[in-house]
Parts: sequence; structure tokens; C-alpha cells
Amino acid sequence: MPNALEISNLTASIGDLQILKGIDLAVPFGEVHALMGPNGSGKSTLTNALMGHDAYDTSGSALVGGVEVMGLPVHERARVGLFEAFQYPTEVAGVSLRDLITEMIEVAPDPAAASERTTQASGLLEMERFMDRAVNVGLSGGEKKRSEMFQLAVAAPKAAILDEIDSGLDIDAVREVAELVEALRDPTFGVLVITHYSRILRYMNVDRIHVMVDGRIIESGGPEIAERLESEGYASVR
Amino acid sequence: MSHFDQMASSTAGAEDPTWRSAARSGAFDAFTNGSMPTQDEEIWRYIDLDFSMDDYRPAEPGLIDLGGDPLKDVLSDPVTVLLSNGEYEGEDRTVDGLSVMSLRRALVESPSVAESVLSRAGVSAEEDLFKAAAAAFGGGGVLVHAGRNIVAPSVVSIDARSGGGGAASFPSIVLVAEEHAELSVVVHLRSTPGDDTLVIPQFSILVGDGARISLSVVQNFDYRARSIGSLRAVVGADATFRFGEIGLGGRLARLHLDVDLEGRGSSANIVGAYFGEQQQILDYRYFMRHIGTNTRSDMFLKGAVEDEARSVFTGMIRIEETGQKTEAFQTNRNLILSEGASAQSVPNLEILANDVRCGHGSTVGPLDADQRYYLMSRGLDPETADRLQMRGFFEEALQMLPHPELAEPTRAWINRKYETAQAEGRV
Ligand SMILES: Nc1ncnc2c1ncn2[C@@H]1O[C@H](COP(=O)(O)OP(=O)(O)O)[C@@H](O)[C@H]1O
Ligand SMILES: [Mg+2]
Repeated sequence: MPNALEISNLTASIGDLQILKGIDLAVPFGEVHALMGPNGSGKSTLTNALMGHDAYDTSGSALVGGVEVMGLPVHERARVGLFEAFQYPTEVAGVSLRDLITEMIEVAPDPAAASERTTQASGLLEMERFMDRAVNVGLSGGEKKRSEMFQLAVAAPKAAILDEIDSGLDIDAVREVAELVEALRDPTFGVLVITHYSRILRYMNVDRIHVMVDGRIIESGGPEIAERLESEGYASVR
Repeated sequence: MSHFDQMASSTAGAEDPTWRSAARSGAFDAFTNGSMPTQDEEIWRYIDLDFSMDDYRPAEPGLIDLGGDPLKDVLSDPVTVLLSNGEYEGEDRTVDGLSVMSLRRALVESPSVAESVLSRAGVSAEEDLFKAAAAAFGGGGVLVHAGRNIVAPSVVSIDARSGGGGAASFPSIVLVAEEHAELSVVVHLRSTPGDDTLVIPQFSILVGDGARISLSVVQNFDYRARSIGSLRAVVGADATFRFGEIGLGGRLARLHLDVDLEGRGSSANIVGAYFGEQQQILDYRYFMRHIGTNTRSDMFLKGAVEDEARSVFTGMIRIEETGQKTEAFQTNRNLILSEGASAQSVPNLEILANDVRCGHGSTVGPLDADQRYYLMSRGLDPETADRLQMRGFFEEALQMLPHPELAEPTRAWINRKYETAQAEGRV
């Protein structure tokens, strides 16, 4: 049985600047993992390098449900089953969320099923009122994250990386997002939740926590790591 | 040898009333003494005129067959007008105080209305060779007139067709809304596929005190056609002029717009959306003059160019000393879709009053890489992602068109042009 996400010896650099210095990390199907690390440690770089952003030169391997995605163009990685929820979701002026979702359904492996998921998720997340608004334009921080979670539900990926899904949210919104992630937990799906605060982890049962400092995973373990980081900070693991 | 001689001018003016004759012969002199404009003149900068009037001759009379006007079908119950190489085809009509008539007949039968609009908002033959040509060799067209307090019950849909290889035509569209009247007009400029035809459209518009005119022009000429158009609007006190232009066709298509906000409290809303493909040149020179106090204007144009197409927008807001408490805004955004394409965007402000609010913005650039990445991360291939982004780019302008019914066909036309460029590997 392959893992939802399996990263081996992944490096990423921009010009002479190496940001990721060899990452190994696996998220089995059915599990929710957290990736923690101070600002600037390389968490978003990992996300974007996995998704195929062209800013980075990369080496190493990343398997999504056992399929190698490194080297594929961005949209093919998405179609293999990788999803990125953005730390700062991009505004797409003049394109309604409905138009985007329609295109997503069209490229889904099973459009009828994707359409069904859309109806369900739209009801659950109360997205209908956002459907005719431009993607991410004029949305509050919380609304943007909710829209990302909605798109995740429509895409039904094998592996999802939620980059700072809790940033800029008040405590109620953080709890809501955490509960959504828990609700998505599924034997066909693995999640990596990126955060630099342990706050969100109070509301979800993560299976494992990985700590990234300066482009390396320096520690992996159970939920107790979050508690230690909360009381002692990243200095304790350096 | 020029076909634009004394004889051609006399033929064009055969039906002129005497009060028009002097203007025509003056224009003929201006034309014969004039020469092709060059880039040395600021208003002709950035474009090369690679043809001469000698390449053309006055269009012969006769009906241009282009099939039904698709725009007429999106408008609800329009009063329709057909201009064929500028000549008004069909009967004059009056519907609930809205009158639509041949401009030639109007000059004879309603001389006071015609004279007042042409003297105030007519195109001046002195300005350039093309305007002189129109005044010397044109004459056909339509007068749309709404008398005092008349709210036109329906939109007027003008199908202005041109055609004939080597033919030049001069359709003249004259709109008058008297005090507190309201007029709504859609003009579809078209030409016969494959014909190298020259069209010099002229719009003369008078918006009386407290009146409103909404005008949309869909420029859908064939790729072989050239068009050098001009529009002059004079807007009275507390009156509103709304104008939208959609620029799609023509190997060269130019529109020189002059709006004079003359009356106190007058306003103008100008919107544009244009898409240049292959070697098209789309050229906009928009002049907004604030003369009255408390006047307001907003210009908003979005355009895209692909392959080796070029676009020009030069916008001028001029606020006269008398134009105190004016608000004037101007925005022009351009997408460059291919390396060989280019867009000039030149906003200008000339402010002679001191109590005003003005703003302008201008951008020229490619599709946004972050948007492409975001959309691709949702599984959309790059072509679909770009198509979505390109559509989204125009949406803001389309939402502001004076006739919302035109948004859907315009969207479809622009998308088709873009998709063709994608399919042929130019973007
Ligand atoms: N596109 C980029 N250009 C230059 N430097 C970058 C770029 N992306 C990331 N970096 C650098 O890489 C490091 C890691 O950044 P990032 O991945 O955003 O960290 P995190 O998400 O953990 O806060 C930082 O030092 C950042 O400045
Ligand atoms: Mg980050």
C-alpha cells in the first residue's frame, strides 16, 4: 500500500540559495500530519516545490498515492491527486468561483462524482453566496480559507497540503477549520497541515508532527511535540 | 489618380440644402489641399498610415448583404435602422416622439435640428484629411432625435454595413436628445468579409439639459477593413452621456472621441473593451473636456493584443478654468498576450482649475503568473487557466457597458478570438 504522500530527499533552491536541504517525510492514507517550523524555515517552499511552482530548482522524489509527481507540470500533479490550500490564496478578478468549480469538475476523473461533492460541500460550508463572486476577491481571511477547503472537497485529492490554514484567523475560525480537516479524514486521503503555531492542533487529532528548521526536518514524533514547542519554542529543538 | 474629385463631391452633395453647400465646398478644398497625417502630429503618434486615399474611391450605392444583425436579437424590441455604405435604407419612422430618419432628408426637412447639432457637434473638416473627406464626400446617415421630455420607448439598433473592395464610405450617425429626453442607441459596425474597404464613421451627439444618451458601438469590421472614426458629443447641464465601444475588427481601426462636458453638473461614462489579433492596429484617442462646474467623467478601457497586434490609447482629461468641482477619472489596462504584440497607454491630465479631483491609472503587461499557478493547482491545464484569466480581465469592463445585453455576445466574440489564437499557437 503506497502512502498518500511520500517525499524523499527533496531539495529546492532559487539560484544559489538552497532552501530545502533534503526532506524526507511520509503521510500514510487516513492520517493527518502537521508540519511546524518558524517563519522562513521553508514550509511554503516545500508546498510550492511539491505543487510544481516554476520558481524553484528541485531534486529528489515525491510520490502521491505511489505516483511520482516531480517533473510533472502543475495541473498534472493536481490531477494525480495533490492539492495545495494556499497560505495566501490568489485573487482571480472577474472569474467567479462557480466558473472555477465548473472547470474543476470538467477535469475531474469522475465529473458526476465531483459535481455531487460540490453540492454537498457547498451546503456544508455555506458557499452558495460566494459562488458568483470573483475567486478570493474581497474575501476576508476566514472566507478565503473556507473557499480553499471547499475547493479541496471538490477536488477530492489523495494528498493535501494546507499551508498556514490557520493564519490570520480568529479562534472560532481556527476551530472551524480544524473541525473541517477532521471531517475530511478518510482512508483514501492524507493531509499535511502546515502551521507555525500549535494553536490549531488543540482542535484536531494529528497523528504525527514534523518540525522543520532551516530547510530540514529535524524532528518527527507524536502530538507531545506540539506541547513542548508551545512552552519552550523552536529553540528547544534546535 | 484620385477618385475624390470635384465631381465626386458634387454627386455626394446633390441633395444638400443650400445652407450645407458652403460647408461641403470648404471641406472639399480642405481635402484637396490636405495631406495624409504623419506621426509628427501628437494625435497620430504610434501608428503608421500605410495607405493613401488614392487607394480608394467613393462607394457605389446599393445594399450590402451581410445577413441579419445578430445584435438586434439581444436587444428587446428595438427600432432598427440599416445603413449601407452610409446610406439610410428604408422608411423614416416616428415612434412615441422618437424619430429616426435619413440624415439627408433631415437636412432638408428638419433643418433647425440638423443645423444645431452639426454646428455644435459636427465633425470639423479642418482637423484632418479623413474628416475633410467625410464632409466633402459623405452625407448619408441617420438622425435619431428625441424631442423635449421624450423618453424613447425602445432602443435604436443601427446596423451600419460597409463593403466593396476599394470602396470608401462615410456613415454619419447623429443623435439628439432635447431637454430631459432619453435616448438609447446600439451601433453595429460591420463590413463584407474579405473586402479592403475604408470606413470613416462619424458620430455627432447633442445631449440637451437634463437629458441622457446611452450609446454602444460594437466595431466588428472584417479584418481587411480600415476604419478611421470620430465622435463628438456635447453634454448639457445635468445631462449624462454614456458610451461604450467594443473594438474587435479592422486591420486598422481608430476612434477619435471628443466629449465636451459643457453644462453645469454634466457627466460622461466612457467604457471600452478591445482585442487586437494578428496584425491589427486598434487606435483610441479620447479627449474629455470639463467646461462646466460640478462635472464628472469616468473613462475605463481594457484591451488585449496578441501576435503582432498593436493598440494605442491616449486619453486626455482637460479641465478648463471654469470646470471647478470637477471629478475626472481615467483607467486603461492592457494585456500583452504575445511577445510581438504591443500596447501604448498614455494618460494625460491638463488641469486649469484648482478645485478638482482627478485620477488616472494605466497598465500594460502579460497574464499574471500567480493566477496561472493558482488555477493550474486546481487541475486546469495552462490553456484553460489563461483563458479563464483573460475572460476575467475583460469582465470588469463588460459589466460597465451602457447596454448590459451586449456583454454576453461580446464575451463570446472575445473568447473566440482568444481561443483561435491559442489553437493557432500565437499565445
Ligand atoms: N521566491 C522566492 N524568492 C526568494 N527567496 C525565497 C522565495 N521563496 C522563499 N524564499 C526564501 O526561502 C526561505 C523559506 O521561505 P518560506 O518557504 O516562505 O518559509 P515559511 O513558509 O516556512 O515561512 C525564506 O528565507 C525565504 O525568504
Ligand atoms: Mg509560509
